[in-house]
Amino acid sequence: MLNLSRRKFLQYTGAAGAALTTGGISGAARAQDPLKIGVVYVSPVAEIGWTKQHSLGVEAIKQEFGDKAAITVIDNIFMPQDAERVFRELAASGNQLIFGTSFSHGTPMQKVAPRFPKTAFEHCSGIVHLANLGTFEAKYYEGSYVAGASGAHMSKSNKIGFIGGFPIPDIVGPANALLLGAQSVKPDITCNAIFLNSWFDPGKEKEAANTLLSQGCDVICSMTDTATGVQVAGEGGAWSIGYASDMAKFGSGKQLTAFTLDWSADYLRAAKGVAEGNWKPEARWDGLAAGIVKMAPYNEGIPADVVAKLKQLETDVGSGKVHPYAGELKDQDGNVKVAAGSVLEDKDIRSMNWFVKGMIGKLG
Amino acid sequence: MLYRIEQRPEPSASMRIAAPIIATALTIAVGSAMFAGLGYDPVSTLQAFFITPISSLNGLSELLLKASPLILIACGLAVGFRANVWNIGAEGQLIIGAIAACGVGLFYPNPESPILLPLMFVAGAAAGMAWAAIPAFLRARLNTNEILVTLMMTYIATLFLSWLVHGPWRDPAGFNYPQTALLPAAAMFEPFDYAYRVNSSVFITVVAVVLMWLFTDRSFLGYKMKVSGAAPHAARYAGFRESSAVWTGLLAGGAAAGIAGMAEVAGPLGQLSPQISPGYGFAAIIVAFIGRLNAFGIVLGGLLMSLLFLGGETVQMNLGLSSSLTRIFQGILLFFLLATDFFIFYRFRRVPEHA
Repeated sequence: MLNLSRRKFLQYTGAAGAALTTGGISGAARAQDPLKIGVVYVSPVAEIGWTKQHSLGVEAIKQEFGDKAAITVIDNIFMPQDAERVFRELAASGNQLIFGTSFSHGTPMQKVAPRFPKTAFEHCSGIVHLANLGTFEAKYYEGSYVAGASGAHMSKSNKIGFIGGFPIPDIVGPANALLLGAQSVKPDITCNAIFLNSWFDPGKEKEAANTLLSQGCDVICSMTDTATGVQVAGEGGAWSIGYASDMAKFGSGKQLTAFTLDWSADYLRAAKGVAEGNWKPEARWDGLAAGIVKMAPYNEGIPADVVAKLKQLETDVGSGKVHPYAGELKDQDGNVKVAAGSVLEDKDIRSMNWFVKGMIGKLG
Repeated sequence: MLYRIEQRPEPSASMRIAAPIIATALTIAVGSAMFAGLGYDPVSTLQAFFITPISSLNGLSELLLKASPLILIACGLAVGFRANVWNIGAEGQLIIGAIAACGVGLFYPNPESPILLPLMFVAGAAAGMAWAAIPAFLRARLNTNEILVTLMMTYIATLFLSWLVHGPWRDPAGFNYPQTALLPAAAMFEPFDYAYRVNSSVFITVVAVVLMWLFTDRSFLGYKMKVSGAAPHAARYAGFRESSAVWTGLLAGGAAAGIAGMAEVAGPLGQLSPQISPGYGFAAIIVAFIGRLNAFGIVLGGLLMSLLFLGGETVQMNLGLSSSLTRIFQGILLFFLLATDFFIFYRFRRVPEHA
């Protein structure tokens, strides 16, 4: 028979509550200790590029938390074998929140996270979620759609060039959106695409950019970890579109705009969640509206009325009024992939491995 | 006063022992000056570099896990290097070995079969050897330069892996990301303890070290290879065929690298992705030379190389040193190690000034 007095009940629930705060994912248990955060970068922080944009998130936490957060950064960790050791080491040394910043960090994080159930893991560009492993990702395609529209306004040859690191959905999708954005201005525009199979290979990228120029492309967008595409385009007198960071200073004054990444909101949300004890693994996927994707200042060579149109497009894409992957969408061979009146589903966007009509080139 | 570098009539026995000690002392001196100059306490930095990483069981486990493929590959490569057969493409042989092993692991009809792991082992070794057999054949028959061929075969292997994971072997449940499905449990080496990552594949390395020692120091074929490396003309005169040294050297390296690839995919990786090796095939060349192409030396060289990796991470984690600084420090140590070895065979001799 269960005999619960009010006092006993309070005792039990109070104890359970205390157990939850000390046992659960919580940094607020002892207020005087700083929140320990570990961050793993794939490369050192440079002037521009992927890791630079992640460092904005780290800076945002430092700004907001001051000495209430102790951040340990390990850079130059790309290979899964090494990443697993580093994640384990960070978790074992008491970090309460750990960020992985590359797709290649995924499998190691999935192995380490279950061993440290009290540690919160956040994986950028991840696809797998666990009880203490959340993911965050950017809607690159919203930015590349607007950038593509700017390219179409300025292109004379009606040919855009695209250089991608790897033919993965995170790159193929934005490449398609770049062309779709351009086609929203000029329906007959095409896009030549080249993949480097490397994030960082300036030599190969230069070759690719020159190939695109010789094919007559007069707007070049490069989704890699260098500014080479922007630079070569500028030297060749062509317009360029930057990615990840604003690359205007490398573009000989020819960068139209850049779709830049700012992960600050993601980093802050996770850090606050852990500090306040209410962190949950989420699958955050944000774009222009949340400020994760931002358009760099438009080139002064773009007429003012066009800039106004582009700014309007930014707002409309951000609000969802314009969906970059709205039907009718056909693939390269003319098969209808999205019917008129509907849009590509989120899961199909995240696993996109086909080119839309007008893309010239092969995946892989 | 002038100095001249001249070859010693005999390799110096005392220098052989003194060289690594001098190198260590010089590294500590230069490293301390560098750390102090940048405002880091040299003692605690060096401690974080060399002692902290291995002061826990997990650290030791990680050290072995990292050193094992390096030592294994270096043993295989050294067999060829001793006969002046320069296999620079162990990275490619590792990748092909990993592909073959992973293929068996993924597509063998019974994913719970106890012979799955042995089959993968055989597949990895055979594939590594087959990949190395191409430059061996070209060198033995057509006298092509094996340095170039093995190196270029590495690019082919990398691109083949990239094609597989982007195409036919891509995980159907993986959002079209370029990686294979995870291997079944029976296709993975069991860790000794699930709290640590090191697994039974280290025994393969132990066996390889013993085999390498037996082969180079106790077998006639090993002796023949040493002679053809040291004195090719004498070897030919004695009737030792050069092509047999080429085949043995390249196949040994290929087998070792292929097995290392298999152990990576069946150990810490568990799947294939476009890049699977943190440069083990190339780092093993350094390990082989730090170890002076000798089995025991290679073990020490491999442990040192992996300690440098781990130490680099520890100083970054504990003291906030940037990874470029730790790389410079690693470079200083390797430079002094190889530079002092020079004085085993050479010496400075004072030359009297001419009047």
